[in-house]
Amino acid sequence: MTQPIYILGGHQTDFARNWTKEGKHISAMMREAVQGALEATGVEPREIEVGHVGNFAAELYAMQGHLGAFLVDIDPAFQGLPTGRHEAACASGSIALLAASAELEAGRYGCALVVGVEQMKTVSPATGGDFLGTAAWYEVEAKGVEFPFPKLFGRLGDEYERRYGLKDEHLAHISAVNYGNAKRNPRAQTRTWYMSEAHACGEDAYNSKIGGRIKISDCSQVTDGAVAVILATAPFAAAWAARRGIALADVPRLTGWGHRTAALRFDDKVAASASSPYVLPHTRTAITDAYRRAGIADCWALDGIETHDCFTTSEYMAIDHFGLTAPGESWRAIEERVIDFDGKLPINPSGGLIGAGHPVGATGVRQLLDCALQVSGRAGRYQVARKHKRFAMLNIGGSGTTSCVFVVEA
Amino acid sequence: MARAIRRVVVLGANGAMGAGSGAVFAAAGIPTTFLARTRDKAAAGRTRAEQLVKSTAIGALISVGSYEEDLAREVAAADLVFEAVSEDIAIKRDFFAWVDSVRKPDSIIATVSSGLSIAAMCADCSESFRRHFLGWHFFNPPTVIVGCELIPHAGTDPAVLAFSRELMAGPLGREVVETADTPAFAGNRVGFKVLNEVAQLAEIHGVAYMDALIGPHTGRAMPPLATVDFVGWDVHQAIVDNLHAHTADEAHAAFHLPAYMQRLIAAGHLGNKTPDRGGFFRTEGKGKTATRLVLDPARGEYIPLAPVALPPFVDAMKTMLRVGRYREAMDVMCAAEGTAADLMRQVVLGYVSYGLNRVGEVVAKARDVDRIMGFGFNWAPPSVLVDAIGPRRVVGLLERARLPVPRVIIDVAERSLPLFALPDVDRGRFFFA
Repeated sequence: MTQPIYILGGHQTDFARNWTKEGKHISAMMREAVQGALEATGVEPREIEVGHVGNFAAELYAMQGHLGAFLVDIDPAFQGLPTGRHEAACASGSIALLAASAELEAGRYGCALVVGVEQMKTVSPATGGDFLGTAAWYEVEAKGVEFPFPKLFGRLGDEYERRYGLKDEHLAHISAVNYGNAKRNPRAQTRTWYMSEAHACGEDAYNSKIGGRIKISDCSQVTDGAVAVILATAPFAAAWAARRGIALADVPRLTGWGHRTAALRFDDKVAASASSPYVLPHTRTAITDAYRRAGIADCWALDGIETHDCFTTSEYMAIDHFGLTAPGESWRAIEERVIDFDGKLPINPSGGLIGAGHPVGATGVRQLLDCALQVSGRAGRYQVARKHKRFAMLNIGGSGTTSCVFVVEA
Repeated sequence: MARAIRRVVVLGANGAMGAGSGAVFAAAGIPTTFLARTRDKAAAGRTRAEQLVKSTAIGALISVGSYEEDLAREVAAADLVFEAVSEDIAIKRDFFAWVDSVRKPDSIIATVSSGLSIAAMCADCSESFRRHFLGWHFFNPPTVIVGCELIPHAGTDPAVLAFSRELMAGPLGREVVETADTPAFAGNRVGFKVLNEVAQLAEIHGVAYMDALIGPHTGRAMPPLATVDFVGWDVHQAIVDNLHAHTADEAHAAFHLPAYMQRLIAAGHLGNKTPDRGGFFRTEGKGKTATRLVLDPARGEYIPLAPVALPPFVDAMKTMLRVGRYREAMDVMCAAEGTAADLMRQVVLGYVSYGLNRVGEVVAKARDVDRIMGFGFNWAPPSVLVDAIGPRRVVGLLERARLPVPRVIIDVAERSLPLFALPDVDRGRFFFA
């Protein structure tokens, strides 16, 4: 990066909430997230110079587009605020973060508001599954298919099995760790749900297969949520930190990013990776791009990772792609408990998508906020040890199609 | 020696609270024995527990048995005996005498009672039993509703209380509120004051009207009279009769069970659990031909439920709530004129006043009332309402309505501070459009 971009703070709505049952419009979620972020940071509304919204499919779920305009309603000082909305399926939040941070790096603005938002409980699971199919090549991979995404990520597991071998008990451990971590997170969707390795390994009426090898316990769940973060340049952050009585060095900052997109169709991605030891080589490249830009050699310079576990197979992929193990050996990190909450390199102390919840457009922004909380020691009961004061996140759109990585440090 | 719970016995494990609480223990990985009158009933409780947590895996941690054949042996081996038998003090006392005679000297005995006197329940038991006895009041269903009350009596060992608090807040994932051993504790005392008051007002203004007026837009997931139908009229009666007989505070009249409810309970109308007779509401027929009926309290008869005409300010509130403008919605409520607005403020402000006035009597802090109303009842905590309206304005409105002004509201009004003190809790989740 040409200069670090500071993360002043933010706010996540409680991902256990069902905003349809509350009778709420999607703009209410954005309002709560933004007001919470302003409250958490003490940034004055008039200091926000630009707003970016990440959202996947409000047109489908909530019959509402043009979400950037709702920011203007939140505070009288936001009248005339330049805003826009970004979409890259489940990576929509990260695309909004990339756009906002690029504008700050370019010197256009000093302070930006980024909101990730998705309201999904407006429709039945089957209809929602069909909507999510538009994150794949709908006509080719999803049309007429019940729950296309579990099937696509089941095939990611099958590809690991074909190349390297894969045991479902390792996937079950990933599920149990994420659910277990979520119990520490007061804003996690599943914090009161039951999960255990025995349940995740078993198959019963409550844990049936829904797509290939993928069982319910392997899936992140549909939910509603919004997250807002406030990003700033060094001059703005320095003045803000002085006002708050904190050292600029203690303010979390983005030091590296990676962003790569592969072919939309899952078969094309697998075919293209035939000669690579990595199943999703462009995801690996996004990670190494971010490491390089952040000036770190490998994952062992991190205190933890927030990764995109839309399914247990995507976290299994992330483990070797982040370099915790050699390609194809993610199981080693699982068996050695490296990824556990108190492990050598904990993955998803927040609970991740499986435990904390996956309101699609909000996820990337939620991951960034959690990274910022972790490196600044403000993650409460899900705080992990701070040795390097550095975290990384991976946010994926589609069947491993768009990969966005950020490195955050304090 | 550090205390540990390695085995739990649940008495009354076939009931909703027994099976649900047992599910919470087993889900935390603690081997749990479900006991009931018969082994089959206990097994039915285990099936219910599996349904509640959506897993047959916890079944492996649950063993079943009958009182007659298994109680003595199982209780002797248990570190925690969790009592969830009928809400009848004589029945509970019989069980406690039995448990007292066979328990390990250091085992904890907890009752799930929703409001009987903890001290009275154990009065005839041994000294050791009494020191290890306290209330663990879970709300139904415990696998979903995490709010719960922890109630020591004067003789409870402080170490047992502290251990219980840590176990519940930690491995059992509870939001624990400690309350005094006063009738109905905190949640039901404050909650049933509101529910019974609305039932009283329904006699004058009608059931459908009151339930629509004091609906979700006043800060609750379920309208009040639908809640009474859900809870059961017999349970409602037991709670308000107990409160009417054993409390003498500013809301004493609000605990008088309306005569029409008394008559209908005698005729077997217990709410949703008696679908043929009904409660405030009754559904006749099934599927597309089903009709929803509503009680006419004066005649004790059911008439078709028709849309209720409410004044425009209610829609204005809902419009604000839908887009997340909670303060503006409360502003509409406070500024509206007319009988409906007066009634709404009477109930909502009465709840705020009565709830926060229990600070110092039943609980230690405003946040305790907030947590039990928020996590136990899914109602907007009183402090959330105070902050949304504005503490100074609340003081003025309470004075005008001749309702007691709780000290905690005066304190924050004087210092221009917010009252709600739970930063991890979304205030917006309690406002329903």
